[in-house]
Amino acid sequence: MADIRLENISKRFNNDIALNDVNIEVKDKEFFIIFGPAGAGKTTLLNVIAGIHMPNHGAVYLQDQYINHVEPEDRNIAMVFEDYALYPHLSVFDNIASPLRSPRYKKPEPEIKKEVERVAEILNIEWLLERSPDQLSNGQRQRVGLGRALVREPNVYLMDEPITHLDAKLRHQMRAELKEMQKSLDTTTIYVTHDYLEALSLGDRIAVINEGQIMQVGTPEEVYFFPENEFVAGSFGEPEINIFEGDIMTSEQVDFSPFFGQSAFGFLPKEKQQVLGNKGLQTIRIGLRPKDIHFQFEPVNSKEYIKGKVFSFEPLGAKAVLTVEINGKYIRITMKYNEDISINQDVYIKIDLNTAIYFDELGNNLLSQFSAKRRGMAWQN
Amino acid sequence: MAKLVLHQLKKIYAKKDEKVYAVKNLNLDCSDGEFVALLGPSGCGKSTTLRMIAGLEEITEGDILIGGRKVNDLHPKDRNIGLAFENYAMYPPLSVYDNISFNLRAGGVQKKEIKQRINKIAELLDIQDLLDFKPGMLSGGQKQRVNIARALIREPEVLLLDEPLSHLDGKVRQKMRTEIKHLHTEINSTTIIVTHDQLEAMALADRIAIIKEGELQQFGTPYEVFNHPQNEFVAGFIGEPPMNIMEVLTIRNKGRLFFKTKNNVISFPVPDNYVQYVRENETYHFGIRPTDISVVEGEDFSVETNVSIFENLGEECRVHIRLEEQTMFSIVSSELLNLKQGDPVKLKFEQHRIHIFHPSSGERIENVLQEV
Amino acid sequence: MKRNKIIEFFKDLALFLYALFALFPLVWLVIISFKHDRDMFTTTFIFNPTLENYKIIFSDGSFIGYFIDNLIVSSGAIALSVIVGVPAAYALARFNFKGRETIAFTFLSFRFAPEIFVVLPIFLIYQQIGLYDTYFGLIWVFQVLSLPLMIWILRGYFEDISVEMEHAARMDGYTWWQVFLKMIMPLIKPGLVASALLSLIFVWNNFTFSLLLAGQDVMTTTVAMVGYLSSDTVHYGQMAAAVLISALPIIILALAIQKHLVRGLSMGAVKG
Repeated sequence: MADIRLENISKRFNNDIALNDVNIEVKDKEFFIIFGPAGAGKTTLLNVIAGIHMPNHGAVYLQDQYINHVEPEDRNIAMVFEDYALYPHLSVFDNIASPLRSPRYKKPEPEIKKEVERVAEILNIEWLLERSPDQLSNGQRQRVGLGRALVREPNVYLMDEPITHLDAKLRHQMRAELKEMQKSLDTTTIYVTHDYLEALSLGDRIAVINEGQIMQVGTPEEVYFFPENEFVAGSFGEPEINIFEGDIMTSEQVDFSPFFGQSAFGFLPKEKQQVLGNKGLQTIRIGLRPKDIHFQFEPVNSKEYIKGKVFSFEPLGAKAVLTVEINGKYIRITMKYNEDISINQDVYIKIDLNTAIYFDELGNNLLSQFSAKRRGMAWQN
Repeated sequence: MAKLVLHQLKKIYAKKDEKVYAVKNLNLDCSDGEFVALLGPSGCGKSTTLRMIAGLEEITEGDILIGGRKVNDLHPKDRNIGLAFENYAMYPPLSVYDNISFNLRAGGVQKKEIKQRINKIAELLDIQDLLDFKPGMLSGGQKQRVNIARALIREPEVLLLDEPLSHLDGKVRQKMRTEIKHLHTEINSTTIIVTHDQLEAMALADRIAIIKEGELQQFGTPYEVFNHPQNEFVAGFIGEPPMNIMEVLTIRNKGRLFFKTKNNVISFPVPDNYVQYVRENETYHFGIRPTDISVVEGEDFSVETNVSIFENLGEECRVHIRLEEQTMFSIVSSELLNLKQGDPVKLKFEQHRIHIFHPSSGERIENVLQEV
Repeated sequence: MKRNKIIEFFKDLALFLYALFALFPLVWLVIISFKHDRDMFTTTFIFNPTLENYKIIFSDGSFIGYFIDNLIVSSGAIALSVIVGVPAAYALARFNFKGRETIAFTFLSFRFAPEIFVVLPIFLIYQQIGLYDTYFGLIWVFQVLSLPLMIWILRGYFEDISVEMEHAARMDGYTWWQVFLKMIMPLIKPGLVASALLSLIFVWNNFTFSLLLAGQDVMTTTVAMVGYLSSDTVHYGQMAAAVLISALPIIILALAIQKHLVRGLSMGAVKG
């Protein structure tokens, strides 16, 4: 059993607020992701759990024990660092063996040898054990960093952006390997990342953090399909979600002219009309993922279609990103890469409100509870 | 606006007694107004090539022609090129306006004309409000815009961009990429971009020159390099996630030729368009992109296996199958799937989207034989 | 090819000439240490070598005493500098406290004032508090010479060691002290050795402080050397022999760890 509870954690560095009243509960054996942009306070949060930083305010509980004053070496927590933090004067073997040689987790040498070899085999670094860290590539260094954590059986694993420094292809592979390893870890893990793919792929639950504050905690399904606010919606997905603004005309119609400068209508799905109508809203912000926008190049004469110009077209292999400009606003659309598109040609887009996420003027999701129940998507990990 | 031609371009460094080729017999023909990317891993010679075009590096052998004029021995400032440096290289004490106008003033252009030209460029790059700022006050994206403005101010015939996005992160990077792409259609000058990021090259360029160890591997449109890679290197370099490449053996079974992996997980009939090119009992490298494999139901499938890893990434799902200890192959599906580790799956390979490479030379098979 | 060889030859020649120029005083010192006083000004390179000078130096045993004094004072000063300097450098590198840069600069500024400038007030203070002509008095004042150097070199070393590495070791189950001894010390060793050696050379060769703050009970070799200038004659031979012997430990030490010295002063703690 190793669950972690953070209560009202605040942390300041001089006058900068790094964490502001953070409350998180991580369940036993959960793979918990802390996700946010650079400077959001992710690493600070991890360091508070590790005992490297003392919070200015709030309490950290490990298995219901108050541990604010417990030294890092006594918390039985293993950590993987973003910049690997290997011991440059020790060989790979000695690096991995280091926790088992410490006074706190000491084991006899023959057992250490066995353990290090076991971990090295899992990580495919048996052939590197004699080398020193400066003879390794970044990918190999990260494996050693992982090995040093995996070699003992801690209460909790903390991983701070472990695969950030690898190139895209290696990241794809390492992510899959981490995922494969996940089941066998069978230990509470807190994993920090700024890459939404890692968050969605690996997490049982994700805490989205921005400027020291928790924006949302939820399963990958919840944060992707039912974001609490525009920040969360904009953090998952590439290209970023499109946000449109419109006026609610009647309870069933949204007019997009405030956003596009031309009149175009969309019809709210029936089941949402009542909920949105009851809130007495005048304007509404609508989030649509780039793959959920309909477009065509043949002219249509319908109030539902809005005419725009191709601003740019970027093929990315199998798919492509089409950016459409309408009245100085840009709309990103993903499409299959199969046709030739010239920049500045006319394009007609249609906003289908069935797949939309609805926000109020402050960017808070109006329907998060409602839609979560409605959409019984299974999200399997 | 001008054609840019590189003819048998060579750059040789003498390293002790041996010659090291940084660039080896590079031939490139960029048409007027074309957007060309020089793409390759770090140290492949792409930056050296760019510096030779700019005139910052001496040419060992070969010619560079801009608009039909040989520029080998011309001073950089006489070549009529604009170069946007990777690290911006701005003069910190000068305002944005003075930074952009610096080389115009040095060239003795009238103040009034400078002002006109800067206003035009500033509007194009949307930096009108930044002209009085010092470089230190700008964000990364703004700096890059100023940097490009400075390269464009002399109305160059050829615009050179050296890794323009590498210092930007995430969303800014994407936005800037879109803007550069659009900008090119506005200014319409021949543009060369150097990058190590294949997505960047694909997104921006009309044609991509893929370089490895100083040698040109392929020069083609994004469509061509993605769909018809000339060799295994190009196949592996272009596309994310990377192409699945497996070693296979050709085996005849009931009169039909099959590609088979060592452990028999994959056994795939040789498509008709390849039958004439492959021989029996030979090893080949078999490549297929993750997006060209689909998870299917029913009887029309190529491979039946179990899921090793399943990832749901919101817009797409990825399925990974472990072939052997070290090799994995991946499937990317834009359909929402619902699988988990160990589930049986039936996979269908797109018949016409497989790539066969020679195991030692890495050359694409159909090409080799077509030439014979 | 041929031109290259000629250039090479001239380069070698220039280096050789410079080496001759630089080493000649030393060679001269060796020569006169083997001369009789009477040969001192009459011969240059050809004379009857003698060990007389060395015999005289060692005969009354006092020189050995000076040598030991020098050893005690120098090593004491270095030991004190290490004990104070390592934690100080660590604190200056790791902790972000108010006035950090001011303190660091103050340490360095100890080296700015010429010795002769501060020796008078120190002399008066030492007289008052009874540190004059004691081992500890000299150690204390020499430490002012070696500490700034040590702090400045080691601070750079500590800054090169990532904080994350220290954190990693804490998570691995080591206490802060164990982390410091097992992980950090090995990484700063080249800097520590180099700065200690350099300080040792400065302290060993110091003359002003040794002359004015000690002289009877505690006498270092540099000061003792002056004793060979007697009122009627100068014993150049004995002086040369004494100089050579007192310089010997430093020369041997410098040659032995020459490699570490260069590397330690020019490189940070973490390679690559």
